[in-house]
Amino acid sequence: MSLVEQIKKKLNEADVYHTQGLLNEAKIKYVSAKEFIEKNKQAQNSRKILVALEKKIKAIETEIIKVDRETKPPETSERIQDLIKDLFSFSKDNDSHAADFEGAVALAKFGQYERSLKEFNKLIGIESLRVVAAKNILRCRVEIFSLKDAVAKFEEWLSGSLLTSAQLSEIRMFLKDIIDKSIDDIYLPEIESSIEYLPEILDISSIEIQFDQGPEKGKSVEFDVSFQSGNIISLIISNQNKELIDDLSVGLKLNNIQFYSPIAMFPGAGIVASKTLIKSGPKKGNYCLDIKILNQ
Amino acid sequence: MAIFNLNKKEIECKIVFYGPGRCGKTTNLEQIFKIYHKQVAGEMVSINTEGDRTLFFDFLPIELGKIRGCDIRVQLYTVPGQVQYASTRKLVLRGVDGVVFVADSFRVRREKNMISLQDLQKNLKEYGSNILKTPLVLQYNKRDLADQDIPLMPVKMMERDLNRQLKVPSFAASAVNGDGVGETLKKILKLTLIKLQKDLNWAK
Repeated sequence: MSLVEQIKKKLNEADVYHTQGLLNEAKIKYVSAKEFIEKNKQAQNSRKILVALEKKIKAIETEIIKVDRETKPPETSERIQDLIKDLFSFSKDNDSHAADFEGAVALAKFGQYERSLKEFNKLIGIESLRVVAAKNILRCRVEIFSLKDAVAKFEEWLSGSLLTSAQLSEIRMFLKDIIDKSIDDIYLPEIESSIEYLPEILDISSIEIQFDQGPEKGKSVEFDVSFQSGNIISLIISNQNKELIDDLSVGLKLNNIQFYSPIAMFPGAGIVASKTLIKSGPKKGNYCLDIKILNQ
Repeated sequence: MAIFNLNKKEIECKIVFYGPGRCGKTTNLEQIFKIYHKQVAGEMVSINTEGDRTLFFDFLPIELGKIRGCDIRVQLYTVPGQVQYASTRKLVLRGVDGVVFVADSFRVRREKNMISLQDLQKNLKEYGSNILKTPLVLQYNKRDLADQDIPLMPVKMMERDLNRQLKVPSFAASAVNGDGVGETLKKILKLTLIKLQKDLNWAK
């Protein structure tokens, strides 16, 4: 192969990589072609080709820098955001609140922080999602506005009554971690030590739920408690009770619950904290429902 | 994970086109959109940057019609191939039923193919799936560029690099011309539906 043919081959290869968007590979090939020409200056028009190659290499370097800098994805249209929310709400057939949460997280992952913030602002109203929604609100505010703005939002929560001390502590730890990792020196207010103590909860062996709303209104159902951790009790619901499973959505407040313990029975209220499909083991296909007992 | 609606006799499954940046995943979907326009159930959604790099994902819903009494709907996705989009790539893979791994035949992209395949294996594992048990088809793309005197890897070499352990069906392709695109799609659909039949027993 003649010198000219060798140069042509290298340049052709570099051009193809360039048109394919393989910028680093194209640059390497252009540089290699340039070095080859420099070693073989007897080639026809070598000076002209070298000048042209210098320009190409510079242009490609600019392109590489531009691609590397494209770290912040653009805000897309509402239609695309709706699609993202819909496609990445994996629990939409089982649990609408969980699905909304997944959709909001997906929007944030795809850099749609403003829309994501709107979604999390709705979700913070749901007791079981309050803390995770609050953390994500702060995360979005850092991205859209600044870390200072997120701290201001935290201060607003501190002076309000939406979040308990325990919840605020958890959120503070999350925000502190972001501040520690940043270069900014920002003061994060402490939480005043009004730690809430949960009242002693008895061991609950079973419960009776009386529905005061929804399609099951007026009916009552009894469940054995399969596990208890503090004020959270877990129940197993057979997959044959499809309507019941659907009715007991996450975030639903149950105002009339009769709690049975080995030493006493007492009325109270609770909130559906989570609902999980059991995927393996002897209870496979059934649902595990966590109910948080509310202090009244 | 596929959705099987027993009452409506409908199955909706998810197939993801995976592979290194600029290997031709989006081009595959564009060709499917062109070739199978009758089966396409909506528009193709693509979110690209200026340089035509996939930023989020591409999405194309298709309907296969009735198979053994069941309406089969398929959602085709591509992942963003660039290294910096690791977290969104993983998110797109969630709930996947079948994967097409598009490998770039350029010799200079040999290592990138292997890194991307490892990334796929790792992400599937993190979702509790095993690459060896996931319906998977390999596609060796850009074979047409051999005509332009560009160094390509021989298919044998790509098989050795990528398919030695997997032993899954593979196809040489030129997505830009549509060659091998249909075969790849048909194969992954077949493998996915067979796997779903084992898992869900939908075709009674």
